[in-house]
Amino acid sequence: MDPKKQLLPPKENSLFKRILKSYEQKQYRNGLKFAKQILASFPEHGETLAMKGLILNCLGRKEEAYNFVRQGLRNNLRSHVCWHVFGLLQRSDKKYDEAIKCYRNALKWDKDNLQILRDLSLLQIQMRDLDGYKETRYRLFELRPTQRASWIGYAMSFHLLQDYDTALKILEEFRKTVQKTNYDYEYSELLLYQNLVIRESKHMEEALKHLNTYESNICDKVTLQELRGELLMALGRTEDASEVYRGLIKRNPENRDYYIKLEGSLGLTTVDERLKLYEELKEKFPRAQVPKRLPLNYARGEALESLLDPYLRAALQKGVPPLFTDIQVLYTEPDRVQSIESLMDKYLTNLEETGHLCDTDNEYKEPASILFVLMFMAQHHSFLGKTETALSLIERALEHTPTLIELYIIKGKILKHAGDYVGAYEALQEAQALDTADRYVNSKAASYLLKANLVRQAEEMCSKFTREGVSAMENLNEMQCMWFQTECAKAYYRLGQYGESLRKCHEVDRHFTEIIEDQFDFHTYCMRKMTLRSYVELLRLEDILRSNRFYWDAAQTAITIYLRLYDHPLTSNTKENDINTGEC
Amino acid sequence: MNIRCAKPEDLMHMQHCNLLCLPENYQMKYYLYHGLSWPQLSYVAEDELGQIVGYVLAKMEEESEEDPHGHITSLAVRRSHRRLGLAQKLMDQTARAMVECFNAKYVSLHVRKSNRAALNLYTNTLKFTISEIEPKYYADGEDAFAMKRDLCSFALQNDVIPAEPITFFDNRKNDEKDK
Repeated sequence: MDPKKQLLPPKENSLFKRILKSYEQKQYRNGLKFAKQILASFPEHGETLAMKGLILNCLGRKEEAYNFVRQGLRNNLRSHVCWHVFGLLQRSDKKYDEAIKCYRNALKWDKDNLQILRDLSLLQIQMRDLDGYKETRYRLFELRPTQRASWIGYAMSFHLLQDYDTALKILEEFRKTVQKTNYDYEYSELLLYQNLVIRESKHMEEALKHLNTYESNICDKVTLQELRGELLMALGRTEDASEVYRGLIKRNPENRDYYIKLEGSLGLTTVDERLKLYEELKEKFPRAQVPKRLPLNYARGEALESLLDPYLRAALQKGVPPLFTDIQVLYTEPDRVQSIESLMDKYLTNLEETGHLCDTDNEYKEPASILFVLMFMAQHHSFLGKTETALSLIERALEHTPTLIELYIIKGKILKHAGDYVGAYEALQEAQALDTADRYVNSKAASYLLKANLVRQAEEMCSKFTREGVSAMENLNEMQCMWFQTECAKAYYRLGQYGESLRKCHEVDRHFTEIIEDQFDFHTYCMRKMTLRSYVELLRLEDILRSNRFYWDAAQTAITIYLRLYDHPLTSNTKENDINTGEC
Repeated sequence: MNIRCAKPEDLMHMQHCNLLCLPENYQMKYYLYHGLSWPQLSYVAEDELGQIVGYVLAKMEEESEEDPHGHITSLAVRRSHRRLGLAQKLMDQTARAMVECFNAKYVSLHVRKSNRAALNLYTNTLKFTISEIEPKYYADGEDAFAMKRDLCSFALQNDVIPAEPITFFDNRKNDEKDK
C-alpha cells in the first residue's frame, strides 16, 4: 500500500466531495459517475472504492458493495472514511457489533468526528453497551458543550448505569440553562425526567420537594399528582396522600388504582371500613362504575348479596352485555357463585311471573331484561361446565331476540368451551352474517375457524377486512396481526403441517425483531422531543419484549415441533404426507 | 373496569385491540411514535382481568399553522365491552390532557360516513360537529366526515385549566382570520 496513491490531486479531490454530496442527496447515479471518473486515473483510491461500494449497497447490489468497500479499506486502512463506510454497511445489515468495531477503528484516525461519534452512540445504546455509550456521550459532550442533546445524552448515560448522583448533577446544571417561567412542554418533561432519576436514587424527600418547587412548570397534572401521592405514601404522610387520591378520583373516577391507593392511604383494613368508604364514594360519583364494582370484590355473604342485588338489576335493566365478564372474577369462591345464581334465578322467576325483575319494585319493567337474564345465566352455566343448561338458556334467548349478535357469540363460546369447535364456528358465522361491517365479529369467527383447523376458511373470513390486491395472510403479516399468526401456527401443527406452522412461528418472531429495530429512530427523536421518561420506559420494555404472550405462544409451538422433528426425523414418505395433508 | 393513561408497555396490547376491532391498522412503530411523542394523550380501558378492551390513540397536529389542536388517530372498544360508556370516558380523559398539556383548542377526527354508531357517539355524546367531507378517505373508497370538538367550552364546563390560559381563551387570533 503506497500512501501517496491515496492522496488525490485537487481536481479529483473536488470530484470526491461531489460523491459525498451525491450520496447524501441520494443521487446515486451521479455518485457512481464521479467515482468512475476518479477511478479511471486512480484505480487504487481506497475512499473512492469504499464510497462506490456504499452507493451500490443503496442500490441493492449488496455483494458488489461489500467487494468494493473491502477493497477500498484494504487500500487505505488509515482512512476514517473507509472504516466509517464499512461500519455503515454492516449497520445496514444489522450487524451492529461489527459496525461498532468499524466505527471505533474510524475514530482512531479521526477521533473528533462528530458524525461517527453520534452513529457510534446510537449503536451502543441500541446494543445496551452502556459503558461504551457513556464514553461516547462524554466525547460528544466535550466537543459540543453548548448543544442540548450533549447534556441530555451524557446525563442519561449515567442514569442508565445507575450512577444517579452524577446524572442528577448534570441534569441540574442543564436545567438551570433552560429554566422557563411560562408554559413550556419540553421543560415540563425535563422536570419529570429529573424527578424520575431522583426517585430511582431513593431520595423520596428530595423528590417531593422537587415536585413542589416546580409544580407550576409541570403541565402534566395527572403524572404530577400520581407522583405526589406515591411520594407522600412513601414518606408516611398518609393524610396528605389521601387528599391527593381524592383529587385524582374526582378527575378520573374510573381509575381503579386511585381507589385502591386511597384505601391504603386511609389505612382501611376491615371489609366494613372499606365498604363504608365506597358507600360515600358512590354517592359522590353517581355515574362512575368503579366505586360500585370494587366493593363486590371485598364483600361476602349477606353484605355481598345486598350489593350484588342493585348492581345486577341496574345492569340487567340497562342491558349491559358484558355483565358476566365483568363479575366473572368473583367465581373463585362457591359461596359467591351461589349468591349470584340465586339472585339471577329469582329475577327470572319474577320476570316470568310478574314481568318485573323484582317483586317489590315496579320501576324495573324493561321488556328486554329477561333477555339479559337468560344471556347471563347461559354464560354462568357454561362457566360451571353445565353445557346442556347453558345451551337451552341461550336458545331461549335467541327465540326472544334472534337478531342480537351477542347471543350467537355467546353460543359459540359455550360450544367452544365444551370442545365442539365446529358448532362454535357455525354460531360465529351466523353472527358474522348479521353484521358484516363489524371486524370484531369477523375476527372471532376467524379465530374459531382456526380452532377447528380450517385455515383456508379462516383466511377467507379475514380477507373481508384486509387490503385488496394482496393475500390476507400477507396483509395480516404486514400489519403484525399476531393473534392470527399464533392461532394459525397451532392449527397447522394440529394438522401435522409442520413446515407451514413453523413459517407462522418465525413470522411472529420477526415481528419482535422488527419492534426491537423500531427503537433505533427514537434514540435521537426522544432527546429532541424531551420525552425522556417515556424513552427510558421504552428501553426497559424492549429489554423484556419477548415476554409478550404472542411470543411465548409462537415459541412454544416452534419448540414442540422442533423437538418432535428431532425425535422423529421426516422420512421421504412422511414428507410426502406433510405436503399432501390438505386442509379439510 | 379501569381507565388510565397508556404506558409504552400498553402499546402492543392496543395494537392487538385495534386489529381485532377496526379495519384501519398500523404497525407497531406508529403506536410507539404516538406514545413517545405525546405520552399524556393516549388512554386505555382495562377489564377486571387486566386485559386492554378499549383504547384511544391520540396526537397533536404539529404541522399546521392553525391554533394548537389534537387529533384522534384511532378509537376502539371491543364489541364484548360495549354499552359501558368506555369510549366517552376515554375521549374525555384525552381531551382534558390535550388542553392541560398542549393548550389544544379543539380536537379533530375522521369517521366513516356509514358508521352510524360512531357518528352518534361523536355528535350527540361528545359534541363533535362535522367540519367537512373528505371523499374516498378510506382505503376501500369510502368517504370520511372530518369532525371537530371545541375544547374551550369543554374546559370551561369541566373546570380544566389549560397549559397557557391567556392564549387558550384569547379569541382574537380567530377573529382576525375571519376578517
